[in-house]
Amino acid sequence: MPPWLIPYALLLPGILVIAGLLLWPLVQVVFMSFQKLGLPQVRGTRPAEWVGFDNYQRIFENDLFWTSLRNTVVFAAVTVTLTLVLGTAVGLLLQKLGKVMSKVLIVGLMAAWAVPPVSAAIIWRWLFDADAGIINWALNLVPDGLSNALFGRADWTGQPWLNDPVSIYMILILCVLWASFPFIAVSVLAGLKSIPSELYEAARVDGSTPWHTFRKVTFPLLKPVFAVLTILSIIWDFKVLAQLLILAGPTNREAYNLSLFAWSEAFNPPPKMGTGAAIAVVLTLILLVITFIHVRQMVRTEGDIK
Amino acid sequence: MRIAKIAATTATTAALALGLAACGSSEPTAQESPNTGASQSAGGPNFAGQTLTVWRLGDPNDVVQKYQTELDAKFKEVTGASVKVEWIPWPAVNDKFTAAAAGGAGPDVTEIGNDQVPIWQSQDALKPITDVFKASPDLSQIPENLRGLETIDGEIYAVPWGGGTRAVLYRKDWFDELKIAVPKTWDELIAAAKKIQDKKGKDVDGFAFNGGTDANHLLGSLAWSLGGDYAVSEGGKWVGKVTEPAFKEGFQFYTDLVAKHGVSSKSRLGQNTTDIRVRFSNSKVGMYLTAAWDIATIKEESKGKVKEDNLAFFSLPKKDGSGPAPSFLGGNDIAMWNDTKNEALAAEYLKLAGGKEWGTKYALEGGFLPVYADELAKLESDPKQEVFAKSFAQAKAFPADSNWTEANETKAVLQNAGRAVIEGKKDVDTALADANKEIEEILNQ
Repeated sequence: MPPWLIPYALLLPGILVIAGLLLWPLVQVVFMSFQKLGLPQVRGTRPAEWVGFDNYQRIFENDLFWTSLRNTVVFAAVTVTLTLVLGTAVGLLLQKLGKVMSKVLIVGLMAAWAVPPVSAAIIWRWLFDADAGIINWALNLVPDGLSNALFGRADWTGQPWLNDPVSIYMILILCVLWASFPFIAVSVLAGLKSIPSELYEAARVDGSTPWHTFRKVTFPLLKPVFAVLTILSIIWDFKVLAQLLILAGPTNREAYNLSLFAWSEAFNPPPKMGTGAAIAVVLTLILLVITFIHVRQMVRTEGDIK
Repeated sequence: MRIAKIAATTATTAALALGLAACGSSEPTAQESPNTGASQSAGGPNFAGQTLTVWRLGDPNDVVQKYQTELDAKFKEVTGASVKVEWIPWPAVNDKFTAAAAGGAGPDVTEIGNDQVPIWQSQDALKPITDVFKASPDLSQIPENLRGLETIDGEIYAVPWGGGTRAVLYRKDWFDELKIAVPKTWDELIAAAKKIQDKKGKDVDGFAFNGGTDANHLLGSLAWSLGGDYAVSEGGKWVGKVTEPAFKEGFQFYTDLVAKHGVSSKSRLGQNTTDIRVRFSNSKVGMYLTAAWDIATIKEESKGKVKEDNLAFFSLPKKDGSGPAPSFLGGNDIAMWNDTKNEALAAEYLKLAGGKEWGTKYALEGGFLPVYADELAKLESDPKQEVFAKSFAQAKAFPADSNWTEANETKAVLQNAGRAVIEGKKDVDTALADANKEIEEILNQ
């Protein structure tokens, strides 16, 4: 075997696995989005009908698509921001802590991160249960005067948290944030450990404030880490499905995001896999565009530093 | 019975089964068991050594489980084949059917809700069984008006197994204790519900609001009782009728249960009958609309805390007290899965299970109404079943269209309209006008 072939030969198994498990299904989804596809077509008992852009036209004309898109984007923007801010803050805290304390905290954080999304969503749904939830119970314990001053009400008995999209998404943000910031925190901590301590000493000698040090030393050096974490968080938060399904239930259409809308179209009777696939393709395109812009900006700013 | 053309060939079991399936005929067929080799009498166990997969729906309680065991033992005695039963919980039914119909492992025979027959027929999941039906002396007795949902384009796709109308299940001990009489009008229903909440706690639903996937069982009864309906087919096209005054009044009362009267909590707008039953078993519900089969489950689920003699039914009344409101014509069927590899054996199972003896037993033990007319007539004198037998006579069905499931469950059109009204986001007229438009779009697609 000529030596130049060796790297390609080594890459081949990985490429085959990715092509088989990722690229081929992706191509199929794109195909499906141009077809009218129900169960008989999937089974092969009836031929699939090519409908051109009908599926896309249909979803763009559907009000549900636009509320789902709004919910998806707003949720992702808020959650990604909060996750990164909280994750970074906790990462910085972890670095300042002593060895033992930091280990204990990391184990605790990783435990939250490791909880399966479905379990996490069920826990949060219980916390916010109208009758038996600890949140309403705790809010009722707040002195009436204070509660009135803060929220304009004192009685929280039976407060339904899971009807209205706004409060559903508030809880969803908490639920996703709780489970995802530990990963950011630990990644930031790993990044922080790689920054030479001389830089901080120099900053201290020059009389830099902690905020200033963060902005001028930590942040620029960790920029590549943040860039990757941002992209990952955006992708994760755009695709949230299980938690929303559990918190909002399958019939609350106002609270749909794009994933849940696609799921509902594709798998609930009568299954319309074509429209479901079209929604999934739109979601993928949005993510591709965001990733593309972000990566390009990343490359450009790195060029500036040089 | 006649020997099938292909049965003469001494093929392997698999080839034989494939041949039968490919033949596509629904003719009842008898065949020699490939395992014995020797010829057998017509009534003997011709299918010895074969296995039939049967899906039953719901979480089995003891009574239903016992029935199934006995039925399968009888089936083995008659045909020699054994039965593999899988129980599919109701909330998982659509997922399991979808996966099976997409080419996964499906059953040979399945229980199916009668209102699910049109949608699964439209997905090619069910095999037509008209010939089996007509050739069977028992099945052919099932009255034609009970085969409406099962008959599509002249072909029958399922055997009606048991009828299930809905009535209001209530806590008799609470009614006795609080001196509440059985409500005869909507006002009395609300008054009774409020009294229960006053005495049993604010977190108890006096009369539970259903806003889940089966919400139209409740909403339908209320609207039908005033003469309203969802949609009518005019010249092959569905025309929505939910904006008509009668439907509107029923819908108004439906949303008022929560919004105005507060007899059901605003925090449970999405609950379905199963969710309500679980709360009822925990003594958190006074009354709710359901079918008779819930009693056995409640007894088990509440671990004896809610006793059977504390439970009773009354017919959901009409608004003005002029009698019972029409109930949803529900019920379960038994059908042959289109992908079955053993059509002849599956047909035998349908004939036995849906036949007069075992069909009636299925209905009576499972809390359904029998589909055989003389057996049903016997129930009208039974004090416990009278309520159901009477509402069965008045039962109504949802629009007979395979797309109804989409409007009813997947898009949950009227559930979302109800939620919007209760939360004050839309007034009744706007909500119903939007719903009407969407129902027409879905039914006419």
